[in-house]
Amino acid sequence: MSERRPFHRPQPRYWWAHKPYLAYTLRELSGVAVALYGAILLAGLVCLWRGPAAFGAYRQALASNWSLLVHLVLLAVVLWHVVSWFQILPKTMPKLILRGRVVPPRQVTAIGLLFALVCSAGLLFVVIVIGALS
Amino acid sequence: MTHTIVNRSPPKRSVAPVFWLLFGAGGMLSALFGPALIILTGVMLPQGWGLPANFADFPHVLAFARHPLGKLVALAVIALFFWHGAERIFLTLKDMRAGRLPLLRLMTYGVAALLTLVTIALLLAIGF
Repeated sequence: MSERRPFHRPQPRYWWAHKPYLAYTLRELSGVAVALYGAILLAGLVCLWRGPAAFGAYRQALASNWSLLVHLVLLAVVLWHVVSWFQILPKTMPKLILRGRVVPPRQVTAIGLLFALVCSAGLLFVVIVIGALS
Repeated sequence: MTHTIVNRSPPKRSVAPVFWLLFGAGGMLSALFGPALIILTGVMLPQGWGLPANFADFPHVLAFARHPLGKLVALAVIALFFWHGAERIFLTLKDMRAGRLPLLRLMTYGVAALLTLVTIALLLAIGF
């Protein structure tokens, strides 16, 4: 009887910090920014529940320069999430076949990005219009 | 005579698709509306750019959070964003072999589940 002894290629401990895996690691880290933004909103909900004074303090904190900087960084990371999300979409979804032809991955990415632009711009537009009318 | 061993017990079901679904929903929601939400709540509203000063004051935000649709939006955005981040952080830590899997699950899925419950409790406590 022979024992199966497969060869394991040695892997450096910090493989994820080196090319070509670094791009993957950075993409996955965008999830931290998304969760962090969720936490900022949850903090607002806690302050809303506690009352007008707490909510006023929350609004004041959000108006600070530090908060603005944090949100601009979050915005940059989330924009990278938007781009990478639609780049991997053609790989995660089933093949899209239109009129007997496979829609090329680049086109799926482009349509997704366009749709995201319409959604985000639409939301901003609607809120600005509501604000102007109120 | 040869015998083939057939495993008659049904295949063990995995819970991974549930987390994958929450991850996907949060990823799509943040990809479609994330930038606009951050610009709105993080830049325009606090800095008073393009919106009336009282747009996000206590009574208005309270009215939003008391409306069933407002509650649904708040829950979807907050909880799904947490689940999206949790899945990505879990898989990355797993690939980094950062620790035992039950511990990593507790640190990611566990936190997301807890914060989802907190969000639901807060939305209910704020009332209708």
